[in-house]
Amino acid sequence: MTPFEHLLSDQMGAQRPRLALAAVAGVGVGAAAVILLALSGWFITGAALAGAAGLAAAHAFNVLLPSAVIRLLAIVRTAARYGERVSSHDAALHALAGLRPQLFRGLASGPPARVLGLGGGEAASRFIQDVDALQTLFIRRSAPWMAGAGAVAGVALGALASPWAAGVILMGVAASLAASHRLSGTLGPAGRQRLAAMSGFQNRLAAHQASAAEFRAYGLEAWAVADVMRRAERHDALKATVDIAPARQGLVQMTVTGAVVIGVAFSVQGVELPLAALAVLAAVMGLEAVGSLTLAARDRGAAEAARVRLSPWIVEETQLGASLGSDRPLPAWDGPDLSREARLGITGPSGGGKTTAIERLMGLRGAAQANAGLRSRFAYAAQHVMLLDGTVRENLRLAAPDADDETLWRALEDADLSDRIRAAPQELDTSVGQDGMRLSGGERRRLTLARAYLRDAPWLVLDEPTEGLDAGTERRVVERLAARLDRTGQGLILVSHRPEPLSICERWWTIGAVAATIIPTRERRLLRA
Amino acid sequence: MLRRRMTLAALDDPRSTFSAAIWLKAQARPFAHDTRNAIALTVLDVVLAIGFAGGLALAIPVLAQGLVGAAPGLALAFVSLVARGGLALMAAKAGARAGQRMKSSVRRMIVSGLFTAAPGSASGLTPCVEGVETLDGYVSRFVTAKAAASVAPLIAIAACALASPISAAILLATLVPFSVGMALAGMAAGEESRRQFSALDRLASRYLDRVRALPVILAFQAETSTETALAQDSERLAQKTSGVLRVAFLSSAIMEFFVALSVALVAVYCGFALLGLLPFSVPETLDLPRALFVLAMAPEVYAPIRRLAAAYHERQAAEAAAPALAALANGVPPPARSQLVAAPTLRFDAVEVRYPNGEIAVRDFSLTVAPGETVALLGASGAGKTSVLHLLLGLAPLTAGQVRVDGRPVADDGGMGGTVAWAGQHPFVSPGSLGHNIALVRPGSTQREVMAAAAQAGLFGDIERPIDERGGGLSGGERRRLGLARALLSNAPLVLLDEPTANLDAASEAALLPMLRNLMRGRTALIATHSDRVAALADRIVRL
Repeated sequence: MTPFEHLLSDQMGAQRPRLALAAVAGVGVGAAAVILLALSGWFITGAALAGAAGLAAAHAFNVLLPSAVIRLLAIVRTAARYGERVSSHDAALHALAGLRPQLFRGLASGPPARVLGLGGGEAASRFIQDVDALQTLFIRRSAPWMAGAGAVAGVALGALASPWAAGVILMGVAASLAASHRLSGTLGPAGRQRLAAMSGFQNRLAAHQASAAEFRAYGLEAWAVADVMRRAERHDALKATVDIAPARQGLVQMTVTGAVVIGVAFSVQGVELPLAALAVLAAVMGLEAVGSLTLAARDRGAAEAARVRLSPWIVEETQLGASLGSDRPLPAWDGPDLSREARLGITGPSGGGKTTAIERLMGLRGAAQANAGLRSRFAYAAQHVMLLDGTVRENLRLAAPDADDETLWRALEDADLSDRIRAAPQELDTSVGQDGMRLSGGERRRLTLARAYLRDAPWLVLDEPTEGLDAGTERRVVERLAARLDRTGQGLILVSHRPEPLSICERWWTIGAVAATIIPTRERRLLRA
Repeated sequence: MLRRRMTLAALDDPRSTFSAAIWLKAQARPFAHDTRNAIALTVLDVVLAIGFAGGLALAIPVLAQGLVGAAPGLALAFVSLVARGGLALMAAKAGARAGQRMKSSVRRMIVSGLFTAAPGSASGLTPCVEGVETLDGYVSRFVTAKAAASVAPLIAIAACALASPISAAILLATLVPFSVGMALAGMAAGEESRRQFSALDRLASRYLDRVRALPVILAFQAETSTETALAQDSERLAQKTSGVLRVAFLSSAIMEFFVALSVALVAVYCGFALLGLLPFSVPETLDLPRALFVLAMAPEVYAPIRRLAAAYHERQAAEAAAPALAALANGVPPPARSQLVAAPTLRFDAVEVRYPNGEIAVRDFSLTVAPGETVALLGASGAGKTSVLHLLLGLAPLTAGQVRVDGRPVADDGGMGGTVAWAGQHPFVSPGSLGHNIALVRPGSTQREVMAAAAQAGLFGDIERPIDERGGGLSGGERRRLGLARALLSNAPLVLLDEPTANLDAASEAALLPMLRNLMRGRTALIATHSDRVAALADRIVRL
């Protein structure tokens, strides 16, 4: 069992009471539906015979008990159906609510490189759609019980008429189950093909969208659209096949039911008419109950596919524990010796590996597992601005969960952003929007600076902290940064290609193949914090 | 229920006048023919249900008298059942076809829009992939179920009326509260579940946002607090959803109760009528076949409406996705442009590019490029180099100033698209041979021309070698050369180069420089780069 399947079976275990209730209610639904119609047929036929035999016979016919049972069954069926739906959906809701954060933790403790490589589309399909698809595993868990109870009720009622009738119904159930099984056998691969076609389409669309300028330049938009659409249509055709499959199965089901009706008619020869009617209707309803498994089979295919795709994203808990020690050796670092007071400026041409070097230093890259001990020494504002879709306060609290408002305002002040936030009607509770859309580019960057300032770590690591800022703002940000560092005594590693922020650094290190190294510090040293 | 989500953009849509229902109907209209077929087949189902019930009603009363008497009834029941299965299959196929066509049409509009819209506008990936999928269920299940639900129950009741008018009256009497209850519950639950959908969607977006922001969360070691917050959100929402579902299930339970009740009522009425023990007189005489017929038909009266209830969420999902789809499905192909015959003059006058999110990428930028001149735009990433190139293609919004090519203003709806050569970091690839990949930019070019362009770009070796969809079969440097070969083959007199050597090592970059020089000769060229060595190829360097 993979770690992910462990999580899933834990949730299954936690939801056992609800699932058990759903199964019991499902048995009620399945049995009641069959008995209701069969008993009604028996009742009507018996009543007709008694009525035809004269008034005395009619009065002798017990009408009260069957009609009471019929009404009771109507109520039982409704109540059981309600109970089944409520408990199975409750189980699914709570299981998924439990699973989502666990998956998040699993992902967060996996190799950082994988997290960094996880695109938005990929994340959406894995962690939203695939997780949602898993709910079927819980909701449809009562389906076999419902179908089984219907089948058992059908066979049992058939047995009241004649053992042969029971046998015929049983054979029908078996045939229907076999067909249903074969359907899930074919639906599995078809569903996987469909999903593969879908990601083919999705990838092609993403790739072509990135090349929009090239298509536009050569006037190849129509070609690109056709190229994408070809893949979309291939997916749609496969999806139609999957969608039609249950109807195909329905045809088999109907044929089996028809054959069973004829078979039951054969086997109830000589049986009194009310029981014969009961057997025929029981056969019809019993097989209908089994037929409902078809939809369950279709949905299960999607859930299984989701399970397979989610599995590799979750790593073993034991692997995690090993990487969490804070006294693990630090990775080798090509850069200058780092002592606590240092303010190191890193510069060099784009693509020269500046960001890679500092990310490796902080254990965000290259390490097989996330290294928490290493990360605790750095407060990082990355070049790529990344904000949570939440309020200013939520974004800042990420770095300092317990900070009071005064501390938050101070950090904003140091990042030259306090005036802007104070001017907003909701101040710290201003929502920044997805990817910080409601802020300008410069404001976004300064918010990430303020966030990094708030983290209580020996080293402040800023990657292009003033990119996109105008000259005046840049000067203020740099001045306040210097003052803040004087106050806190934090060390600074600053990556930039601009002179202004580099001016507060005591030493510079140039990375890149072309330009000369200003301070050639080549010794490999371990970082001591 | 949980799996339905819509994009955040859809929720934030300010155009409150937009009606998802009307938009969906408009999109489905061209495929009304397919839809009508599916509806007709679905309605026909009830006719065969009547056949089956009739067969049973004919066969059962005479079962005791031997099989020969029962044979016609049994045969009718069997044939009706099998035909019913066949009809359902045909209906499913017709519905799937209608869904496929509608999806394809909307998707084509969205995809076209994605290639004509300015980058940086809302990402169309999710709506185009998932949003469009909701249309399938909308057409193939909801629309057909809705049409069938308004006709089929009445046909079933009419058939019952022929056998037993009183039973038909009972069914009709329960159908009315059933339908009214369904409509009321549908409206109340609809509003409630719309709110629920949006709450679910907010949770989904929040979750997704945290997954995307994982690098930051890791850097600040906020995994545990984020996980706790997500767990609390999820659990709270699960509680709330569970409450909403209870209401929804209760209303459907009440409806199901009517169904079960009507079966029970019909059975009891028929029983008493057949016994002759009814406490009141009725204007009909019932016999066993008639009674069995209405009993078998009773569930069929409600079946179409139950199918509609089951398909209801398809409509909700489609309506939830509709605003995002409608916003994107407005792709218009850019107008065709006359080809440039000679290297043009480019003139940027106090140009500003401000993206819809308010970000100003280019501010007060002026530049004149003489015919045949090469200008390098040098600057850090984010300085707006690419935006300047995109201006010429109409892919960046020109918010102030003017861009002229040979003195004529470049319209912002397509720019110079179709008349320009482009070489960027990631030339697109198409599965097929290398030659095919190059030749795409000039249909009808000869093998010799393609080979010449490849050779000039430094692509040697087999021109027929296969390249797969991800560009497998090409190294990073070769892929850039593919872009250069295209630019050479297209022979366009204006060349735009977007970071042509980014992410290449020094040796590969050096190897590419002569090819670049080759390409720019005799053409007007703009290069966006942050490589000093590429910039050194230019006649002039402009810093951004």
